Amino acid sequence: MPGRLDQDRELIKKAKRGDPHAFGDLYESHAPAIFRYLYAHLDSQMDAEDLTGEVFLKAWQSLPNYIERGVPFLAFLFRIARNALVDHYRQNNRQEPKTPDDMDGYKEEGILEPVEVVGNQLEHQQILRILNKLRPDYKSVLTLRFISELSPEETAQVMKRSVGAIRVLQHRALAALREEMNKSGR
Amino acid sequence: MTERMLDRIINAYFPAISKGGETLESILAKYPQYAGELRPRFEAALWLQQAKLVINPRSGYIISSRKYLEAQIESLRPISFWQRLFSRYSPQRWVFNITAPIIVFLLLALVLNSAVLTARLSIPGDPLYSTKLVIEDFQLALTFNQMDKTDLYIQRYRERALEFIELVMEGDYEYLPSAATRMETEIIASLYSLQDLSVNHQSFEQSLVVNLKETLTNEITLLNLLKRTSPASAWPGIVLAIQVTQSGLMVLR
Repeated sequence: MPGRLDQDRELIKKAKRGDPHAFGDLYESHAPAIFRYLYAHLDSQMDAEDLTGEVFLKAWQSLPNYIERGVPFLAFLFRIARNALVDHYRQNNRQEPKTPDDMDGYKEEGILEPVEVVGNQLEHQQILRILNKLRPDYKSVLTLRFISELSPEETAQVMKRSVGAIRVLQHRALAALREEMNKSGR
Repeated sequence: MTERMLDRIINAYFPAISKGGETLESILAKYPQYAGELRPRFEAALWLQQAKLVINPRSGYIISSRKYLEAQIESLRPISFWQRLFSRYSPQRWVFNITAPIIVFLLLALVLNSAVLTARLSIPGDPLYSTKLVIEDFQLALTFNQMDKTDLYIQRYRERALEFIELVMEGDYEYLPSAATRMETEIIASLYSLQDLSVNHQSFEQSLVVNLKETLTNEITLLNLLKRTSPASAWPGIVLAIQVTQSGLMVLR
């Protein structure tokens, strides 16, 4: 997507000069993909939101050292996101159980009805349950390709593999996912 | 090879299926030889597509969190020394911080200047008279040219003579002997200084000798006049001053 890359390049230049609004524009265009990637790995929506903010804050701090040498900004962000996930897993060795407070947070937002929130939560849990049964590299490739909608090239840069290797990995990961879906009655 | 081919088919047709332009069955009909392998993969990819909708951020989150992120970035922004310095005080405080020391300095200078002026006008017996002598000594210590130094000694003698006259005029006769002694000290200092000067600057020495001679002669005349107009109680001091001045004149001749 050359249009997006050019736009990113321009915004990165401005952000490097210290323009927080330019970085805000970058955030607005890339945060949904990063959030989806993180939420596909995490149990809690709030954790995913917090971690998304952390990823962009780290990206801002690393921005002076960021030089685009074939690594687009999105791939740079996903690398930070992967590291943030690793750190998050290290800090929380076990998945924390859902507390009623978590649900209250969504009620206060007033955007979704409680029934919808619970429905979404349940669906999310089911998706996670299936994805978590996959090998970590299968889960990563599928999340990056189909949930965060990265191109095979971008996925290759994030996972530090060749595009060919990503294609093979995706092919096998899709087959493995279908098997897991069958086991779950889907 | 087959993996690559299947991948190419999935990548090529998956967007069309997601957008509803094609159906899974229509694609499988195009590639019946791969249908067995394509179907599960397409189904998995479509399931992920559906899962994406559940995993999407809640509405309004991106906009509100963007504002929060921008505020955090602003707070992280390094502040330069000058920005920190200028943000520390309000403009009014800055004006006060700058003007207060200036005003204090000007006031001190004014007080000091007044004290120096008062000291310069003082005569023996005044509280600031010792300050006047210290200022004169300081002035002398800062004069390194021998000619200027000699001139300064002569001026100091004139000052002592003026003080003497003022003491007589004001009736402070008890200070007259000490004032006469101070006149003698200045005459001796002037004579020694003239002696040092004669070694190096003979031409200048002559003019200064003439200057001192005239000064001493005038002072003798003035003191004699003063003696005639003053009460008898002032005479011993005046006579002492005349003797001192005459001795100086004699040495000079």
